[in-house]
Amino acid sequence: MSLVWRKRWFLVLLPLLVAVTVWQIRIESDLNAFFTAGDNEDSKLLSGLLQSGELSRRYLLVVEQANIPNEAHSTSLDAFSAKLVLQLARIEGVEQVWPANQPPREWIDALGSYAPYHARLFSLNPMEDGRELFDPVGLSHRAEGLKQALLSPQGGFVKAVAKQDPLLLSLNGFKDLKGQFERQAELDSGGALILQSRPAALDSDAHLRLQAAIRASFDSLNQSSGGLFRLSMAGVPVFSAAAHGEISQDVTLVSVVSSVAVAVVFLLLFRSFSALHWVMMVQIASFVVGALVTALVFGTVHSLTLALGGSLIGICTDYPIHVMVHCAKHRNSPLDAARLLWPSLVLGGLTTIIGYAALGLTGFPGFEQIAIFALASITASLGLTRWVLPALLAHSSLHVAHLPGIAAWVGFCARRRTLLLGLLAACVVLAGLALPQTRWMNDMQKLALNMDRLKQQDEAVRSHFAGIEPGRFVLVQADDLETALRRSEAAERRLKQLKQAGILTEYHGLFPWLVSQELQHDNVQVYAQALTPHFQEAWRAALVKAGLSVDKLGQLSPPAAQPLEPKDVLASPVRHILSGQMIEGQKGVALTLWLGEHDPQKLAEGLAGLAGTRYFSQKDQLDRLASLYRDRSLVMLALGIVVMGLFIWLQQRNIAKVLLTLLPTLASILFIFAIWALIKEEVSFLHIIGLLLSVSLCVDYGIFFMDNRGRDSDITYHALASSTLTTLASFGALGLGKTPTLPILALSVSLGVTLGFLLCPLLIQKPSLK
Amino acid sequence: MTPNYHYPRSVIKLALCLLLALLPRPGFCNETELQTLLGRIRQNASAEFHYQEIRQLELASSPWQGEGSMLSGADGSLIKLQLQPTRVIMAIAEGHMYYWDPEQQQRHTAPLGQSGQGSELITVFVAILQGHADDLKSSYDFIPEQHGKRWTLRLTPKPEPGNEDAPTIEISGDEDERKQHVLIRQADGESTEYRLIKTAEGQPLDEAIRRLLREAIGD
Repeated sequence: MSLVWRKRWFLVLLPLLVAVTVWQIRIESDLNAFFTAGDNEDSKLLSGLLQSGELSRRYLLVVEQANIPNEAHSTSLDAFSAKLVLQLARIEGVEQVWPANQPPREWIDALGSYAPYHARLFSLNPMEDGRELFDPVGLSHRAEGLKQALLSPQGGFVKAVAKQDPLLLSLNGFKDLKGQFERQAELDSGGALILQSRPAALDSDAHLRLQAAIRASFDSLNQSSGGLFRLSMAGVPVFSAAAHGEISQDVTLVSVVSSVAVAVVFLLLFRSFSALHWVMMVQIASFVVGALVTALVFGTVHSLTLALGGSLIGICTDYPIHVMVHCAKHRNSPLDAARLLWPSLVLGGLTTIIGYAALGLTGFPGFEQIAIFALASITASLGLTRWVLPALLAHSSLHVAHLPGIAAWVGFCARRRTLLLGLLAACVVLAGLALPQTRWMNDMQKLALNMDRLKQQDEAVRSHFAGIEPGRFVLVQADDLETALRRSEAAERRLKQLKQAGILTEYHGLFPWLVSQELQHDNVQVYAQALTPHFQEAWRAALVKAGLSVDKLGQLSPPAAQPLEPKDVLASPVRHILSGQMIEGQKGVALTLWLGEHDPQKLAEGLAGLAGTRYFSQKDQLDRLASLYRDRSLVMLALGIVVMGLFIWLQQRNIAKVLLTLLPTLASILFIFAIWALIKEEVSFLHIIGLLLSVSLCVDYGIFFMDNRGRDSDITYHALASSTLTTLASFGALGLGKTPTLPILALSVSLGVTLGFLLCPLLIQKPSLK
Repeated sequence: MTPNYHYPRSVIKLALCLLLALLPRPGFCNETELQTLLGRIRQNASAEFHYQEIRQLELASSPWQGEGSMLSGADGSLIKLQLQPTRVIMAIAEGHMYYWDPEQQQRHTAPLGQSGQGSELITVFVAILQGHADDLKSSYDFIPEQHGKRWTLRLTPKPEPGNEDAPTIEISGDEDERKQHVLIRQADGESTEYRLIKTAEGQPLDEAIRRLLREAIGD
């Protein structure tokens, strides 16, 4: 195809490609999906819980009175909260909202449905509790309590239960639930609300809209109440929406600064707007291909992938730059220069792809996307540089700026090679001595966005709630639901003991919402034994004494013939109550028991010996993942270098050349580790991954320098300098990001490419300098 | 467990009827007079009543009887202080219902405005408290009757879907403005009867109302 037609086709297809990509792409901003969705069961569980769990969709709202409390404080705050609950319930995206000190209506309605099964679920420890529950001596007091309950505001509810369950046994198991709300009532002055949202926890756009609607609703009500109140919000969606905002800012900032910096460097080097324009179009095409392929492979593209992918512009620009520098210096046509450099470009591109592929194999879920993105972008960039760029640059006049100091540094390295190598050897020894001081980062939280203000707000809001601790729970696993329920009940018995021992303030289990068949059977046994004629007579006497109807309450019915089936329970609104506590997967069932404040170590010890039951800490799991990723990153760093060496050997067929090509890279890795050790930088897997990236770039420099296809090392080193500058410009922009991932990568890559570039003329002696 | 949740219609209707019963007795025989009555509904001053309560419960073998004091605040709050057979406080204030039974150690709180079974009656209650007659007409038919010195105001739920379980409320009295009689008949056959005698009125009652409200809330 002629150059003219190549250009025409490119100009026609590029807008189409952009349009298809915009239509196809779905951007995700969930940091958890980027960091935690891994390939082991615990990672998947953690990720699943974070993304879809009921608790992850829950907002904690606190309304407080701005003034000092006065006598009317409690009631007026109550009244305001009650109105706010009604208003919030009408917002689209709100599934349910209720005061924290009272269970939602559907919970209470659900209690009534358990009355027919009272003989099957009255206790977690039927043998033990049965003695007190079926003691004839206490029946007078129970009958009197029933009468008072019938006269109380809950009379209607109690009547409906008592008709089927005169002893109110079905409510016995829910005593703990009542206790939880009573503790909340003690803690809360009436302004603590719980809002269950409809959108998935990580649908940040929907949550941003919802949060705005909540605030607008509050503001309007508060205005009509004289502005006496203030609202605070907490919960997973608040953090995810804030993270979304921060990451979006980072993506915009990094993309803009990176593009502008690369453009400025490019203009300074080539002084040609025409060339800049065409090269940028090639880069846009490469970026869009990367985004489209990633979207097609993964379904969604993470915004961090786009941010880091944006930095690829700096790498992909290397290929056109090499062509243009050679073209300008040698006065070749762009087509000739592209043909001449093509083998080096392919090998350089290949080693970069190897670096990114190794990155994708570290197990870090987000980097799998980046690896695919890089593979597609680099391939596109290489192809466009070889076949399209010459067509685009056909009429551009190229001049390359002479970079001061380049020839001087190459000359200095040649003249003082012995001295410099001696110095380098000393530095290598010193660096080796510094390595044992390397500090590893074991806390994954340090990689999360700095949200101190939000964390403080979260802490303040949570102080109004006597709820569970986020991120730490008891995990019960089994092959089937019945076994899982039995194990969960055993764990609840243990948790009860731990609570009595003061190790745990409270817990949210599944009993008696869901009860195993085994426990139902045990309850029935105890109930049947207790229901003696003597007991029944004593009950009737107690009813008479309390003035209650013996006809309607005196007949204690036998146990329900059919057990309470989990599938029936889960078909009722109870499934909302238990949502987030049951995860059914291909490998069985996992149940979670949420925990209040507790001593992790003692709690974990207290659960020892229970089959399929363990204490699960989200933070510990994240930290384990951090260590796992770090170890894999180190392996991949080594493996990446070996594979790159192999590819270089396949081209060069000379082991000495391979070693020489890799030498600047290896030396720079050693020095970077030593620098980190000396400045006491905590090294995480992200640092290693940054190094891996810089290795893939530095090896390119070694290849280009060693290959020196233009037979002019000054031009080659100028091309490398230009590449280094654009790489620094693009990766340096990552340093502006607030997401800690980005500055870490910026530092690692910048240090790596700078050292690699400077060491090339010192360590690679082969090219004859002009 | 006695769960802490929404209040049934019987409680709401009680509040509603008591408030109605505590009103100055009107004379009415047509729509205009009814409008006049509803216009005078709003409580402008605090008042205290002695009450006797008789409840016919479906699950009780005989009528239950209690007595105590009823305090109505000018701000729309209402306190029912049961003294016999045991001390129990039930209060309505600032859109909430509070219940405190010291003997059984049972305390409950719930917003009046929670949707559900009693929501319509809550709306009626609030409307009466605030004197919004037009709001009442959408839910209840008001039937005033006068036979000599005796008068009766019957509130009948309109025959509309969702209104099937609403109670019928009857407030009656005679020339003695201090005495009133309230009868609430529920759809399930249960009924509650109140006999009220006004014993005091005026601002000094406000402190007692506040104190009892604090006790009911648990402050």
